Amino acid sequence: MNNVFHLSIFQNNDSLFIVGLIFGILSIASLSFFIFEKIKPETNIKELKNCTKSWWVMSTMFVGATVFSTKISYVAIAFLSFVAFREIYSLLGFRQSDRRAIFWAFVAIPIQYYLAYIGWYGFYIIFIPVVMFLFLPLRLVLKGETKGIIQSMTTLQWILMLTVFGISHMAYLLSLPDLEGFSAGGRGLLLFLVFLTEINDVMQFVWGKLFGKHKIIPKISPNKTWEGFIGGVISTTAIGYGLGFLTPLSTKYLLLVSFLVAIVGFVGDIVMSSIKRDIGVKDTGTTIPGHGGVLDRIDSLAYTAPVFFHLVYYIAY
Amino acid sequence: MQALVLKIIYSGIIRNFLKLIVGVKFDKATFLLQEKQFVIVANHNSHIDTMALMASLPSSIVHKVKPVAAADYFGKTKLKAWFSNYFINTLLISRKGGKAIHAMKKALEDGYSLIIFPEGSRGEPDSEQQMKSGIALLLSLCPGVKYVPAYMCGMGRIMPKGDGLIVPFSSTLVYGKPTLPNSDEIKEILKQIKNDVDMLRKSHC
Repeated sequence: MNNVFHLSIFQNNDSLFIVGLIFGILSIASLSFFIFEKIKPETNIKELKNCTKSWWVMSTMFVGATVFSTKISYVAIAFLSFVAFREIYSLLGFRQSDRRAIFWAFVAIPIQYYLAYIGWYGFYIIFIPVVMFLFLPLRLVLKGETKGIIQSMTTLQWILMLTVFGISHMAYLLSLPDLEGFSAGGRGLLLFLVFLTEINDVMQFVWGKLFGKHKIIPKISPNKTWEGFIGGVISTTAIGYGLGFLTPLSTKYLLLVSFLVAIVGFVGDIVMSSIKRDIGVKDTGTTIPGHGGVLDRIDSLAYTAPVFFHLVYYIAY
Repeated sequence: MQALVLKIIYSGIIRNFLKLIVGVKFDKATFLLQEKQFVIVANHNSHIDTMALMASLPSSIVHKVKPVAAADYFGKTKLKAWFSNYFINTLLISRKGGKAIHAMKKALEDGYSLIIFPEGSRGEPDSEQQMKSGIALLLSLCPGVKYVPAYMCGMGRIMPKGDGLIVPFSSTLVYGKPTLPNSDEIKEILKQIKNDVDMLRKSHC
């Protein structure tokens, strides 16, 4: 227990480097907004400033959750899943008769993360796709309300997969066994994944704002352009290459994995956009100023986490 | 002693439980500190309503605010009545007969503030029932006491009537401004309150 507050990250220069990088980027962003406002006070960049302020908070929380023991990281990621699940299910208009099944879906969250924590891979990987997949419909059937039951069965399983199964891969990175000659370990992989996914969102946004012209998927997300997408994928792949020391991958695979993270990050984003469009909301919540809800921020991670995990797991472990 | 217990329960435990786990969004109602006395008027769909309202109060006044509750439900046995009065700080009233108004008036005269659900019993989730006129009568009998409209949505999904299981749900509690009734006519007061609560619903839910 006495190593809970043991700052092991500070004995690892690789991880320390990326923490410095995160706060360096944020300092530059905040500073440039400050200067920009002094030079051109008439322009309105309140939205961007709010957004950056929230990045500060989120980064601090994320670094805080990874710097201290990994035990805290598991709990923090589980809580993230929990809030995202609560947010999306609340929007989807479930029936009152679904309450018991939803309760069990909530119970599945700590179980899934406990399985990740003890590193029981075989059970962890089937728990939601197989066990809950079979169990939740049973709970709905026992309630006996058949009108609308198909929708409840499918939606509940889908959001559990997206917000719990997908996101929990972030936690399992921490349970991966040590590899010889790879000092950054699971924590390095987690930092790499989260940093790359979030910087990908930012890069796609920045490239789109600067050069965006040709809409990529106007019916779902009118702000997404080919220029933003391609610019984002190229920059993210380059950044991933630069951060390769956090992974055990060879250059060839490092480029492939970074490239795929950039692409699936985009996919996660537009999948979530289409759902919000269907429900008729702009954001899934108001928890994070300038971003929307928690799920608005981690929609890409729900896609990148499992893809990244399984690629790395297959290639290096 | 009871004041301290209430403070720990509502401002400590329940406030954090509702915010972090259950997913009720609300701000601490610090604006109430400027009022000497008030009557919170809210819609009613769940037991969580009372918990959320109590948890949103600044900790220094929790013990001065009494939720008005039905004696036939919360005071069924002597033990239950003691429990409600001690841990929820309830003012138990009988739903039948005219003594209820008198009891509420006396509590106001004793310096307490009240939480009243004018719909009476808890309704179906996300729906409203007709308000009863007792609140208007009370305000007309106690001139100078302000009412504070409050609206909650989603509470009936967390814990509906007849079900003891709490299931987290993103829900909200919002307050309106403390207001004096414009008239001393019961019908008018009731209309004014209903209007205020409706406005909150339309703008926040």
